[in-house]
Amino acid sequence: MATIKFRNVVKSFDNGKVTVIPDLCLEIEDKEFIVLVGPSGCGKSTTLRMIAGLEEITSGELYIDDRKVNDVAPKDRDIAMVFQSYALYPHMSVYKNMAFALKLKKMSKEEIDKKVRWAAKILDIEPYLDRKPRALSGGQRQRVALGRAMVRNPKVFLLDEPLSNLDAKLRTEMRSQITSLHQKLKTTFVYVTHDQTEALTMATRIVVMDKGVIRQVDTPQALYNKPANMFVAGFIGSPAMNFFEGRVAGGKIRFSKYEFDIPDSKKTVLLSYEGKDIVIGIRPEHFTECADAKPKKNTCIMTVETEISEMTGSEANIYFTLNGKRYIASIKTSRKICIGDIVYLSFSNSDVHFFDKTTTNAIR
Amino acid sequence: MKAKRKNIAVYILLFLFAAVFLAPIFIILLNSVKTNFYISEEPFSIPTGEAYAGFKNFVKGFTQSDFSKAFANSLIITVFSVAGIVLLTSMGAWYIVRIKNRFTKVIYYLFVFSMIVPFQMVMYTVTYLVFELKLNNLPGIILTYLGFGSGLSVFMFSGFIKSIPTEIEEAATIDGCSPLRTFFLIVFPILKPTAITVAILNSMWIWNDYLLPYLILGSGKNRTLPVAVQMALTGGYGNKDMGALMAMLVLAILPIIIFYLFCQKYIIKGVVAGAVKG
Repeated sequence: MATIKFRNVVKSFDNGKVTVIPDLCLEIEDKEFIVLVGPSGCGKSTTLRMIAGLEEITSGELYIDDRKVNDVAPKDRDIAMVFQSYALYPHMSVYKNMAFALKLKKMSKEEIDKKVRWAAKILDIEPYLDRKPRALSGGQRQRVALGRAMVRNPKVFLLDEPLSNLDAKLRTEMRSQITSLHQKLKTTFVYVTHDQTEALTMATRIVVMDKGVIRQVDTPQALYNKPANMFVAGFIGSPAMNFFEGRVAGGKIRFSKYEFDIPDSKKTVLLSYEGKDIVIGIRPEHFTECADAKPKKNTCIMTVETEISEMTGSEANIYFTLNGKRYIASIKTSRKICIGDIVYLSFSNSDVHFFDKTTTNAIR
Repeated sequence: MKAKRKNIAVYILLFLFAAVFLAPIFIILLNSVKTNFYISEEPFSIPTGEAYAGFKNFVKGFTQSDFSKAFANSLIITVFSVAGIVLLTSMGAWYIVRIKNRFTKVIYYLFVFSMIVPFQMVMYTVTYLVFELKLNNLPGIILTYLGFGSGLSVFMFSGFIKSIPTEIEEAATIDGCSPLRTFFLIVFPILKPTAITVAILNSMWIWNDYLLPYLILGSGKNRTLPVAVQMALTGGYGNKDMGALMAMLVLAILPIIIFYLFCQKYIIKGVVAGAVKG
């Protein structure tokens, strides 16, 4: 059992001159795999470090398992942390690195040995126990760092961008390893990353942060399908969502020289925006290529000139400009699309996201 | 071909330089096993036959003068000063690097500034202060060395500590280390190459130092090796046992050379450490 609660937590630096987290309220459930995601400087690492006790809380309350931990030392919080730079002790062998915390707890040698070998077996690092960290590859080091956290059997696992120093292949491998570790250990995991693929593939819930403020907390599917605002919509999904400036007029949505019917599910709410400017969000992967520009029901067809074409295997990323802004469409195609080619792109009105232009919140 | 010739020329030049620098040590070594007559007659010849004195000079040098007492004084002063410098300056540097505020910044620049102040500029005031505080004894000079040695040592340790990721120390904190334990169990072992370099540099300087021990301890019972050697060289009237003196010199430089050779592989590591990102 390990829940984490932030109650109006504020974090400032330089005697209050710089406020990184203005007012954080968040509840993390037991055994959840929570991923804090956001651009650099959004406060996600600071949030994690506050849970670890490495950063003091300026004001507010932080609870781990209903126990207020604002003034509790890191070692007494029953947490373990995996750092981006692995933070292994370079002068100690892998075995000693993993046994260090247990030794400090004055555990018996037999118990330490049992725990270290158990973790090493799970992480497949048994052959390297006598090696020093410098004799290991990046992936092996990261597994040692995970092992060091595992042996402590903590209530909460904190992981601060643990895969960002690994190459793409190893990152994918380690991602699945961490996910299966979470399932095996059945402990609360709090994971920080700026990589949305990591967030979407690993999390049970994702916390999207921006400038110290939580923009949305939800499951990966909900974040992708129902983003609460333009920030989340633009941050989740790759390539990022396209935003077109539009207007509700005559019961239709109009943008640039195009128009389409308001989807039935949003008719009531969007009709209240009649005559007002809105923002239309279309994910690049929701575009499909058409043979011609013949209008179809509930569908909008755009005629665009290809500016850049990127082949990504089964898909092609088509870059085009509309009203001076560049957009992108990812379409499934087997043919080669060249620069200057005219492409008919269609999208269904049910795939479109609508946002209030003033508040940037989703219109629901 | 031209480059090769140039290389050979450079090597010859470097060899000549090395020979010039090593010549005094070689001459002392030669004469330490020579009889007194041949030292004055043929100081540069290889000792053979009746010129060869074996280890007689060493025995004389060790027993006749108060060499053993001076050796012990030098050893006590060097060992305790160096141990103190390494321990205290590494802790100080860790604090200075990790706690960033105006106070630590000022302290750091004071340490750096102390490196560029020539000893001759402060020697009278320091000596006066030492005598006023009744520190003109072995513990007193160890304390004085601690002050004189800390500038360079803090500078070197700070440079290396800056290259140690703070995450390592944070990991230790989470694992259950207090700041003191973090320092002794994690930081200090990582500092080993720099600590050895600092130890070697300070050992060489303190072991060979003449002026400060002469000013503070004088030529009495607490005199150090360099002072004792100098007294043996200049003391007495006319009749000097040069063989014993040469043997004393060899014995005086031997410990520091052995210490240097034993630890020299760490010197480069320690000097370079922190200069480049690992």
